[in-house]
Amino acid sequence: MIDFSILIDHFDTYLEGFKNTILASIIGLIGSFIIGVIIAVMRIAPIKPFNWIGTAYVEFIRNIPLLIIAFFFYVGLPAVGIQLNGFVAGTIALAIYTASFIAEAIRAGILSVPKGQMEAARSSGLTYLQAMKAVILPQAIKIVIPPIGNQFINLVKNSSILGIIAGLDLMYFGDIVSSHTFVTFDVYIFVGLFYLVLTIPLSYGVRYLERRLARSY
Amino acid sequence: MIRFKSVNKYYGDFHVLKDINLVINKGEVVVVIGPSGSGKSTMLRCINRLETISDGELTVNGVKVNDKNTNINELRRNIGMVFQHFNLYPHKTVLENITLAPTMVLKQSKEEAEKIAMYYLEKVGIPDKANSYPSQLSGGQQQRVAIARGLAMKPEIMLFDEPTSALDPEMIGEVLDVMKALAKEGMTMVVVTHEMGFAKEVADRIIFMDQGRILEEGKPADFYANPKEERARVFLSRILNH
Repeated sequence: MIDFSILIDHFDTYLEGFKNTILASIIGLIGSFIIGVIIAVMRIAPIKPFNWIGTAYVEFIRNIPLLIIAFFFYVGLPAVGIQLNGFVAGTIALAIYTASFIAEAIRAGILSVPKGQMEAARSSGLTYLQAMKAVILPQAIKIVIPPIGNQFINLVKNSSILGIIAGLDLMYFGDIVSSHTFVTFDVYIFVGLFYLVLTIPLSYGVRYLERRLARSY
Repeated sequence: MIRFKSVNKYYGDFHVLKDINLVINKGEVVVVIGPSGSGKSTMLRCINRLETISDGELTVNGVKVNDKNTNINELRRNIGMVFQHFNLYPHKTVLENITLAPTMVLKQSKEEAEKIAMYYLEKVGIPDKANSYPSQLSGGQQQRVAIARGLAMKPEIMLFDEPTSALDPEMIGEVLDVMKALAKEGMTMVVVTHEMGFAKEVADRIIFMDQGRILEEGKPADFYANPKEERARVFLSRILNH
C-alpha cells in the first residue's frame, strides 16, 4: 500500500516545491502568452522581415527539446557571464518554449477570422495594430482558447524540468524526499497528485471559458 | 476629387485593370456596372488602397493614394466603405461597431461618439437596435448599420461594393432608400451595383466596365436608352430581361 506517512512527514518539503511549481507556471503562462501573441502577429504582419523572425522563432524553438533550452539558460549563459539560478533559468525556458506553440495556435486563430474584418477596420482609418487589437484578436481568442488551454496544461507539467536544473519545484523536492527516505514509488505518486491538483482545475477552467465565450455573441 | 490616370493593375500575369482614366467630382454619384470579373470591385477597392495599383496615377483630393509618403490611415478616414457582406464586427454591439473608429482614430470621447452614432442610426432608421449584436439583425439592418458606421467618420466620399448583392430581395429596398437619401444630400458616392432602378434614379453617371476596361460612360438615361457599345447592349438586355 501507499505509505501516507511520507506525505505527512515531508509535507512542508512538498509544499515548498508545490509553491514554486505554481509560481513558475504562472510566470510561464503569462510570459508565454505575451511572447506568443507578439510572435503570432509578427508571423502574419504585412512586413517581410517580421515574418522571417517569427517563422525562425517558431521553427527553431519548437523543434528542440525543452530540456536543451533550459540547459542553455542554466549552464550556457554562465559561460558568457550571465548567472541565473535554476528557477529563473527554467521558468524563462518554459515561457520561451511554450510561446512557440501558443504563437502557432494564435496564428491559426487570427487567420480564421474572415478577411473582411481587417478590411472594414483598416478602411475606417485604423492602423494595422489598432485593427488587430480591437477587431481581430478579440475574435481570434474565442477560436484559440481550446488549443491554448492544452498548451497551458502542458506548461504546468513541463515545469517538472526545473527539477533537473535545481529549480526548487515539486520534482526537485520529490527527488530530495526520495533520496532521504530511499522510497521512490510512493514519493513520486504524491508528486503526481500535486500536479493533478493544478492541472485538473485548469482543464475545467478552460472548458468553462470555452463555453462562456461560445455564448458571448 | 477622385482621379484615375492611366491606371493599370496586374495580379501576376492577369491584367485586371486596363488603362483606367476616370474623374469623379465632388458630390457626384457614380454607378459602376458590368459583368462579374470585369474589375469593377477591384477599381473601387483601389480608391482606398485595399488594392494597390501596378502603374499609372490615382489621386484622392490631390493626394497620391499609392505614394510611399502618403499617410494611408489619414486618407482612409475621409473615405467610407460599405461591403457586400457588411463586415460588421460580430463581437461588438451596433453602437460599438459605429463608435470604434471615431473613438480610436478621431479620438472622440465615448459620449460624443455615441451621440453621433445615435444620430446616424436614426438616419438609417434603426435607433432601437443600438445595443443589439449584428447576429441579431436581418441582413438589411446589418447593411444599414454598416452605412451608419461609414458615415460616423463624416467622410467626404462613400464607396459601396455591391451593397445589396448579399441581401434577400425584400430587404434591398430599405438599403437603397438609405443610399438614395444620402445621394440627395450631396455625398460623393461610387457604387458598384446591379440595381438598375437605383442607378436610373440617383446616378449622375454610369460607368460600364468589361474585362478590366471602362467601355462606356454616360448619363443613366442616355446609357439605358441607347448604349453605344455592343457589349453593353448585350449586358443590359441580359440583366433587364430576366
